[in-house]
Amino acid sequence: MSNFSVGFRSSGAVQILDLQGELDAHTAAELEAAIQKCQKDNRVHILVNGANLMYISSAGLGVFMAYIEEVRESGGDIKIAALQPKVYNVFDLLGFPMLFDIVETEEGAVDKFSSPSAD
Amino acid sequence: MPDTSLEKTTQSVTKRLLPARGSLILNGILVVSAWLATMGFHFQQWSAQQPASTTLFLLYAAVTTAGFGGWWFLLRQIQGFKDTSPARKLWTLLVGGSVLMIVAGTVTRFGRISAPGFDLGIGFDLDTGVALTFPTIVKMGIVSLAMVTFGFLLLQRLRSLILVKRSHSSERNWKLLIGLMIASSATTFFMQPGASQNDWQNVAMVIVAVFMVVNAFRLSWIVFLSFKEKLATLGLIFLLGLFILFSLGTGFENSFGMVPRGLEYLEFYFMPLATFTQQAAVFGMIYCVTSFLSLLFHLPTSGDYEQRAGERATMHTLAALVGQVFDADRLFATIAASPVEAGSADASWLVMPDPETGTLRQHVVAAHNLSPDQIELFMDCSELVDALSEDTDGFLIREAAADHRLNVRSSDGLGSLFVVPLVARDERIGALFASKSVVNGFERDDIETISIFAAQASVAIDNARLFEQQVEKERLSRELSIAREVQRKLLPQQAPNLRGTSMAASSVPAQEVGGDYYDFVKLDDDRYGVIIGDVSGKGTSAAFYMAEMQGIFQSVSRLASSPSEFLHHANLALAQSLDRNVFISAIYGILDLKKETFTIARAGHCPAATVRLGGESRLIRTPGLGLGLDRGDLFRKSLVEEHIDLAPGDVFVLYTDGVVESRDVSGEEYGYDRLLAIVDEYRHDDAEGIHAAVLRDLRRFLGAEDYDDDMTLVVLKWHGLPLEVLTGTECVLIESH
Repeated sequence: MSNFSVGFRSSGAVQILDLQGELDAHTAAELEAAIQKCQKDNRVHILVNGANLMYISSAGLGVFMAYIEEVRESGGDIKIAALQPKVYNVFDLLGFPMLFDIVETEEGAVDKFSSPSAD
Repeated sequence: MPDTSLEKTTQSVTKRLLPARGSLILNGILVVSAWLATMGFHFQQWSAQQPASTTLFLLYAAVTTAGFGGWWFLLRQIQGFKDTSPARKLWTLLVGGSVLMIVAGTVTRFGRISAPGFDLGIGFDLDTGVALTFPTIVKMGIVSLAMVTFGFLLLQRLRSLILVKRSHSSERNWKLLIGLMIASSATTFFMQPGASQNDWQNVAMVIVAVFMVVNAFRLSWIVFLSFKEKLATLGLIFLLGLFILFSLGTGFENSFGMVPRGLEYLEFYFMPLATFTQQAAVFGMIYCVTSFLSLLFHLPTSGDYEQRAGERATMHTLAALVGQVFDADRLFATIAASPVEAGSADASWLVMPDPETGTLRQHVVAAHNLSPDQIELFMDCSELVDALSEDTDGFLIREAAADHRLNVRSSDGLGSLFVVPLVARDERIGALFASKSVVNGFERDDIETISIFAAQASVAIDNARLFEQQVEKERLSRELSIAREVQRKLLPQQAPNLRGTSMAASSVPAQEVGGDYYDFVKLDDDRYGVIIGDVSGKGTSAAFYMAEMQGIFQSVSRLASSPSEFLHHANLALAQSLDRNVFISAIYGILDLKKETFTIARAGHCPAATVRLGGESRLIRTPGLGLGLDRGDLFRKSLVEEHIDLAPGDVFVLYTDGVVESRDVSGEEYGYDRLLAIVDEYRHDDAEGIHAAVLRDLRRFLGAEDYDDDMTLVVLKWHGLPLEVLTGTECVLIESH
């Protein structure tokens, strides 16, 4: 069975979710619950930190796709930072960098929240 | 009826005795000879008008004992007691005894001994014991035989009643009784007919009497009789008691009874036999008294025993039902009726949660002797079931009208109520209610019985549910197998046979059905399309999307002039049906045989691997979003095609992430490098060979056969020259299962 957990941190208005372990069909529900909690608390500036994310499957990617529209409509965004190279590759193959801000460092991502770049 | 039962008796007797007829005949001959020998002795005595010598008398005693001993065993064999009822045993004994006594009684009335002025008695010299006339001997022989036979029959029939419940002690006590009777009879060996017993004989008599009393209390056969049977047997015992008294009970020189002075004859015949027969009569009468009284006193409790039997029968029915699970309604009805059927309640009903409404509210599922509507008026079953606390085995309401939880008046016919929960595997699945019309109506036995039914019912209901689940599971499993077959047929059964190329492909789902897809399409005489796709996720939903993808591919590909155009239209088509969290990655390539080109576009899929003859291997990682991720322009704008001029020996490998992401025991992934390496190694082989090599390498790397993800592999090789020149083989499709 996969081990997975989501840690909660804040940096000002930004809610940081620290992902740990493997994100697949079994553990995707946990990430879902975390994002739903953020929505309920009206914390819509969500930064997903993947420094300890070892693996992601299509089910895990699906979670991002499921909530991104809603979050953006509420005036927020889901940004991704500090992905490990292998995991980044999975995002990249699918073209996620075209849809999400995937940044190397957490600080860079936080900055993007405060100064959203023009299209 | 006596006639037919006589026929039946004779039939069963002969059937039983036929196999043993050899020994029976032998035994019979010995017995008859012994009896004749005894007659001969008395005849000899009479003709000599002298008592016989001691040696002869001893011989006579031995022969008589042996003869009658044999007669005892022969009688035992002929009778055979197995399963007849006590009443039957008794009336057959009465009938047999009557026949014997009539014979004996008749015989004594013939040939009266008389002489003017003399009272000759029955015809024996009182001092010597010698017979005085020849008829006397005959009478003596027949009367003795009849009386002893009756005595034997009496003892044997009583034995079968006494030993109904066999145990070591009961058998021992019986054997002791018989043994002591024989022993005490032996002590009268030298006694003269008509003399009174001496002290030793009296002592022996007392000891025998003790054992008679012990055996007279073996009355367990009475318990099993029904009320009617007990009454009938009561009468028979009474008759038997009187019969024994008037046949064998006559004393010495007593002229009343069926066989006047019969015992006298027997005493003159052989004293110990007379003593034995007398003792048999005494025991018979004692037993008649004890069984008469026991039958009498057990009459009132017959009902309880019958009720016990009824409870057992109902338990059998329930136990049988545990095995039959097919009809839930019938099961519930039987459970609801069981307390009433067993006689432990006047009305009973079964309460269970309602699956339809989905709540845990209990309602009456089946009721016996009361209708669910009436029950609903009297009480709120759900509330009562909830009142059952965790560890009780049920609760009892002794006075229903007085309980505030119930809505019962004393005229309603519901006096007391017992509720017991049904628990299966630590889960409460309902409750069994039982009511009696009188207040305080439930005895301890009723409570126990109903609780046992509840326990059995719980198992039965649980079994029924498990069975239903099992059936459903098997049905789903069958459905999935069918789905797998359907999906397998959606995939190409054969790769196209194209000049200058060889192709090989396979796809194995991780579960019964999966989300991987590959296909070929002929666009025109020179152009063929090949596609590979991977729906996010696994299982049935992925399989449905895969089927949709196939439909789109087969229809749209012929209308699209290029890979990017096809993928663009596919993206639009899928936008309507894909869930937000679902996407499909794909690679679509068009092979132009005339221009010798291969145009390929990648929509988020694992990059195709390509190896040239010279050994240059690379991944074709062109930009492109996955299908379903963007419903607008971004997809079309970001998608980039690659246009390749084919050179002989070019190999293209399309695959899904199940191939590169498979992990071995240490958790290491197979990866792109290994894939490229193995394709490179086998690049001189045809597509089939390369395909097989990759799968072999993958299997070797994984160690075990088990694949965790859907796995698809398509190999396309451009040979450049007509195949007939190359290998002469056709393109084959390889399916790995």
